[in-house]
Amino acid sequence: MAIIWLIMLVASLGLTLFTDPAASVNAMITGAHSAVELSLNLMALYAFWLGFFALIERLGLSRGLERLLRPVIKRLFPSSDTETRKYITMNVSANLLGLGNAATPMAINAIKRMDTGGTRATTDMIMLTVISATSLQLLPTTVIGMRATAGSANPSDFLFPSLIATVLSTLIGIIGVKICSKIFDRKKPAEPTTAPALFEDTESREPRRKRALRKSSHGKAQRHSKRGITVAAEPAATEAKR
Amino acid sequence: MSAYIIPILFLLVLLASFIKKRDPYGGFIGGARQAVDLTISVFPYLLAVMVAVEAFRVSGASAMLADALAPVLNKAGLPKELAELLFLRPVSGAGSLAVLDGIYTQYGADSYIGRCASVIYGSSETVFYIATIYFSQSKVKRLRYAIPVALVATYTGCIVGCFLLRFF
Repeated sequence: MAIIWLIMLVASLGLTLFTDPAASVNAMITGAHSAVELSLNLMALYAFWLGFFALIERLGLSRGLERLLRPVIKRLFPSSDTETRKYITMNVSANLLGLGNAATPMAINAIKRMDTGGTRATTDMIMLTVISATSLQLLPTTVIGMRATAGSANPSDFLFPSLIATVLSTLIGIIGVKICSKIFDRKKPAEPTTAPALFEDTESREPRRKRALRKSSHGKAQRHSKRGITVAAEPAATEAKR
Repeated sequence: MSAYIIPILFLLVLLASFIKKRDPYGGFIGGARQAVDLTISVFPYLLAVMVAVEAFRVSGASAMLADALAPVLNKAGLPKELAELLFLRPVSGAGSLAVLDGIYTQYGADSYIGRCASVIYGSSETVFYIATIYFSQSKVKRLRYAIPVALVATYTGCIVGCFLLRFF
């Protein structure tokens, strides 16, 4: 995000130097103004929905919802605890009801609970982000309203393709995260295992040394094979030259 | 139908809180209070995104990028007039709504371009905005494959949705 932000600003500032230098500054200030406006609007919406969610929480409804959706949520977020799942279920339910702004505070809370202190997002965090970012838009009321204003004969005639598109994007998002986590997460050294290692006794250290040995010999074998490849590749190259 | 869901839910929750003596008023106040901190922590991120988006749009860089992307869009079966919308939609809700409005007035809401734009806006979310705001209260900086996966998923949905439009 940081790089995209930088590229966007550098590109637009560079471009306006040739056209209209004053326009870029005005545009940025307009953007800042609308950010203030939007965050005031958001504060009202957040306050309203967080107030409502507090009532739901007090009634124990969120716990009930968590229990109801637990099989699905646990499969999507394998390392989540009950409290985190409660926020996730609230986030997903709000998104399904078309209340994106009500879903946001719940997701922020969920991410805060998933936080391990590191700067890398965990797979669960990524799953939550992707599910929300591709969330099901069951009734895009804004678009229907705008089409009606623009004089459409049938403002909601795009709903079926739109529904297919949103369902498809959610499915691809979930499958994509599952695939990517299989590919990328294996490489990373598991962080939580370093803590219990302090309490390890000699008995459990033994297999670890063996594993290390096996690893080093494996590495040697790989190096050998690599050399073998380069050796084998050289005659092939010289042959090709001829 | 959906207009009834939220008010009825609200009514039931209020009544249940009252009957179970869970102090609905105090609960609502307590929840609403969290919104102040939340808004303050979200605000700088929001500001940074919106400053960049506005500069990008007004400078014409967004339109230039859209022109550059037009051939790719044609291959995917999307009208090239929608490039700017496709690009801005994941970045800014307000910015892309302005573009959508422009498309309706220029090409008509019932044209293929207008309907295609409706599917794109109606089926997708502001991916970058969500990714930024969700992590605003945590130290996480590297989102790894979150944004690429979300974008691929969103755009695949849009392409299929616009393709299906030809039959409806």
